Amino acid sequence: MKRSKGGGDEEAPRHNGSAGRRKADQQQSDGDEGGSDIGPADLQDDDNDQGLRREIRSKYRDLISSVQQNREDMLSPSNNKLTEVLEEANKLFKDVRQAREAALDAQLLVVATDLGKEKASQLFSEGTAFDPTAFAEHLLSFMGLNRLEDDEDEQQNTANGYLPQDAWHRLARRAECCFRTAPSFHYMMGSFYAEPPPPKQRIERQRKAPSKEAKRIMPTQLKKMEESQQEATEKEVERILGYLKSYYQDDPTSPISYYEFVIDPSSFSRTVENIFHTSFLIRDGLARMYLDEEKLPCIAPVEEGEVEAGGSTSRKQCILSISPKIWKELIDAFDIKDSIIRPPNTQND
Amino acid sequence: MTFGDSLPFMRCVAMTQRKRPSSTQSSSQRRHTGNLVAQDEDDDATFTQPSTSQVQRGLEKLTPAQVDQKTAEVVQYFLVKDQKKMPVRRADLVKHVVKDYRNIYPEILKRAARTFDQVFGLKLVEIDPKNKMYILVNNLETPDKASPVRSPSNPKMGLLLAILSVIFMKGGVVRENLIWNTLRKLRVDPGEKHEEFGDVRKMVTDEFVRQRYLEYVRIPHTEPIEHEFRWGQRADAEVSKVKILEFMGELHEQDPKTWTQQYRQAHSLPNSSQASTSSSSQR
Repeated sequence: MKRSKGGGDEEAPRHNGSAGRRKADQQQSDGDEGGSDIGPADLQDDDNDQGLRREIRSKYRDLISSVQQNREDMLSPSNNKLTEVLEEANKLFKDVRQAREAALDAQLLVVATDLGKEKASQLFSEGTAFDPTAFAEHLLSFMGLNRLEDDEDEQQNTANGYLPQDAWHRLARRAECCFRTAPSFHYMMGSFYAEPPPPKQRIERQRKAPSKEAKRIMPTQLKKMEESQQEATEKEVERILGYLKSYYQDDPTSPISYYEFVIDPSSFSRTVENIFHTSFLIRDGLARMYLDEEKLPCIAPVEEGEVEAGGSTSRKQCILSISPKIWKELIDAFDIKDSIIRPPNTQND
Repeated sequence: MTFGDSLPFMRCVAMTQRKRPSSTQSSSQRRHTGNLVAQDEDDDATFTQPSTSQVQRGLEKLTPAQVDQKTAEVVQYFLVKDQKKMPVRRADLVKHVVKDYRNIYPEILKRAARTFDQVFGLKLVEIDPKNKMYILVNNLETPDKASPVRSPSNPKMGLLLAILSVIFMKGGVVRENLIWNTLRKLRVDPGEKHEEFGDVRKMVTDEFVRQRYLEYVRIPHTEPIEHEFRWGQRADAEVSKVKILEFMGELHEQDPKTWTQQYRQAHSLPNSSQASTSSSSQR
């Protein structure tokens, strides 16, 4: 096979395809005979021009990667991209002088022929073609895909819809008809367990544990409540004493109606709390209750001097009861518009 | 063979030590392996198939109960191995179960195959004559529709069906990218962890391959490295191409015959869903 003398290194002659091409190219491209008449100087320049070598190699690499990346595109029978790639390679090959470029040429050929083989197999298959994409779509429907109606996102076809939980199980059940799988061997009742049943004990323990914890929790809560209650009660009692005193000092002569004092027209529960707290005042001797001429209960603070520890004055006890109905009647009867005892901000109703 | 034969098998919950058979056996073994120590090697090359006359002589020295016991152990070994659908290697079988009875190995395997057939309705299939590997396959006819018995189905089988269908319809060999792309369209991305299947790539290229459902072979001259998928030996034995084609017809609402090449392929083999027959013909 004819070779340009200046080159001197082994080349692609091993590869029949490229050799054949090369012959044809050489006969066409070189104006003279087989290239041997080109002066050694010219050939040397061409051969050793590193820039040109690199360029050729880079172009080959581009071609190879384009075939690999766009494989599916090139496989399509609707275009001639593969032929274009080969024609491009032919042009490049004219300038190939060294082994490195030729090796790339060979690599491109391998990739291209592989693709060509697959394209050819597409041609020869008779019957209906099988399209994996359509298959996937049908399979999704079979598995119960719920396609969402989405007019806007038509491009996002893959994201449309969602598969139900048992999608793959549906397919697996259908697969059972196609497979002759041996059913897996498992003991029906599991293995023999000879120890006495521990689960019962565990259940008992579990039942006990929550109650203990619950008990443990409750005392702490109660303590907290008691403390806060005590504090709150004391504070509240003092606060109410303050109201009582200031109200009394405004007009010491006119008696303070007990009902007007304790009732909060906006809240029944606060009214009850007021009664509760006021009772402390009376118990401690800080306030006294008496009946006026109309036999209605009144309340007044006890003067400082009058407080007697223990108290020789006869102590009387009474139990108050109030219901929402009575509360409302009292509000109407006494025409109570505002509460004397301002509700505290922090306390919860 | 009656159900009584399966009783020894039922009793074999654990592989317990038994009395070794008479010492005359070990001399024949020494002939094969050179020395007693070599018996423990699991290298299959040391196991030469005993001849029929050797088997006969071996059988004469054993009681029927002993042979039945050994057969039952082999049966149980297979059943447990089959839970994970891993094929059984002859070397493992001989090393772990048959042990001293290796000189009557063909007879034991023959009886085990008979047990599988008559008691369990299973078929012992040699899927790899070269490496001597066996699997169990269902001998009963597959139902036309789903089985009326509601046993929990394995979703992996669904995925496997999809993959095998694509490979078959595409002529028996596909590049791996086609499979990955198809799976992605089915909302299964091999690059991500799937909520049902987990590591999909590993399941397909490792588990299914080890189970012999798929073959995953490197394509030479590819850069970057690519592989191609084919049906594995278990798939050849277990999966019916005819039924797959029927399923395709259902999905695409077409007559299976429209896929002429695949139809021809599915109906060409007399046992289109089975590979080689059971142990008695093995070498």
